[in-house]
Amino acid sequence: MRTADNWAAPASPPADGSASDPETVQQELLRFLEARTRTSWDPDTDLFAAGGQSSLFALELVLHLEKSFGISIRGTDLRLDNFRTVTVMAALVTRLQQQAAGSQHG
Amino acid sequence: MADSLAAAVAAVQSLIGDRADAWDLARLIPVPLLRELGAAGLLCAQVPTGYGGLGLTSLLGGELTAETGRLCSSVRSVQTSHGIAAWTIQRFGTPEQRHAWLHRLTGGELAAVGFSEPGAGSDLAGMTTTIRRDRDEVVVDGHKAWMTAGHYADLLVLFCRYEGGAAAVVAPAATPGVQVRRIADPLGCRAAGHADVRLDSVRLPADHVLGGVGLPLPLLVTTALAYGRMSVAWGCVGILRACLAAASRHAASREQFGKPIGQHQLVAGHLADLLVAEQVATRVCEHAGRCWDAGSADQVIATVLAKQVSAGQAARAASTAVQVLASAGARDGQVVARAYRDAKLMEIIEGSNEMCRLMLAEHALTLATEEGQ
Repeated sequence: MRTADNWAAPASPPADGSASDPETVQQELLRFLEARTRTSWDPDTDLFAAGGQSSLFALELVLHLEKSFGISIRGTDLRLDNFRTVTVMAALVTRLQQQAAGSQHG
Repeated sequence: MADSLAAAVAAVQSLIGDRADAWDLARLIPVPLLRELGAAGLLCAQVPTGYGGLGLTSLLGGELTAETGRLCSSVRSVQTSHGIAAWTIQRFGTPEQRHAWLHRLTGGELAAVGFSEPGAGSDLAGMTTTIRRDRDEVVVDGHKAWMTAGHYADLLVLFCRYEGGAAAVVAPAATPGVQVRRIADPLGCRAAGHADVRLDSVRLPADHVLGGVGLPLPLLVTTALAYGRMSVAWGCVGILRACLAAASRHAASREQFGKPIGQHQLVAGHLADLLVAEQVATRVCEHAGRCWDAGSADQVIATVLAKQVSAGQAARAASTAVQVLASAGARDGQVVARAYRDAKLMEIIEGSNEMCRLMLAEHALTLATEEGQ
């Protein structure tokens, strides 16, 4: 039963409430991207530059990040600038995990 | 959770009853009844209980949608529009906005969403309705076409251009500058309250804009429509169940050439086709619902697939059901005639057949690349 804002995914951040290592997040994301697009990507390549990925793909990325890293991405955090490259997505994951941990412990 | 679904299904059955054909003929659903459905949380059943919703999973919410659609596609269309509004607020609203608006959507106020415009249907990049910031207010100007439930709505959730990106804004229908004109003669879902909405210098507090600036229009629309596609897909399952039941009942009782027509092989073939259609649509919707409940990224394509399959199956099956009932079903006020008109619209809204096929083809091409390597 959904009682609050837990519809996004079964939350599974690191059990101690800490954030995932950004390097680990990047590696996982690069694996997902390669599997989904059949292309290998550089961490700083703009995924949505001209001729790039579709809006369906953007939504898939949002959902994948939420499920893989136990975060919930909402509101202004859904702006495209947070998803353009693997590096900025890893930064988003780290920030949201830290925020979630802060609100749980604080 | 299963108990919640059973109670929700019983409430919908009791409130709609056998009145769908009368509402279809009158082209209106009584507003107090819609408010009662809304206040019971039945128009957006997946909203968490903390906001007054029923907190159903996608899978169980889908079953409720199918039951609503089995009884009345007009009510189900209101449910779809209201549900997209709630989902958009959940996804794009701040915690304060979710708290403020979701309680109203589970408290009896009715909401509708506006995507299409006279010049922007499938190509939403052509959208011109605009939000402009003016100190602590925003001003909305534009024109939304075919807003399902717009005639009934207290709150309009409008998708607009905003400062180089896009945003959804919540506009009370009573705001000066909002003009809602009901479309009195739609082909199907005749009581769903479709409306054209003109927005002329509509001033709203700036905190009515969901999620602030910088959202990309395609992601905003795709996210919102994903909920709507699931709702339409399950609604089509409901149409299929209504058609299967009506055709089977008729074929078992109507006698020609000395036996029930269901024992004539050509008619029997129609019944088999109806059963297959209902099962295929149900299974593909269940798969998508499970992807949603698992939080899987696969839900994106599974949702498009569910919408495409269910709408196509419903449109064909409704035609088949009219064929089986023949003169007994070929007039307004008959369930299969209503299904025939309603199902056709389902091939058009929330991503036309053609748009869904393009998305599925794009997905197929990524799979083909893998085989080639």
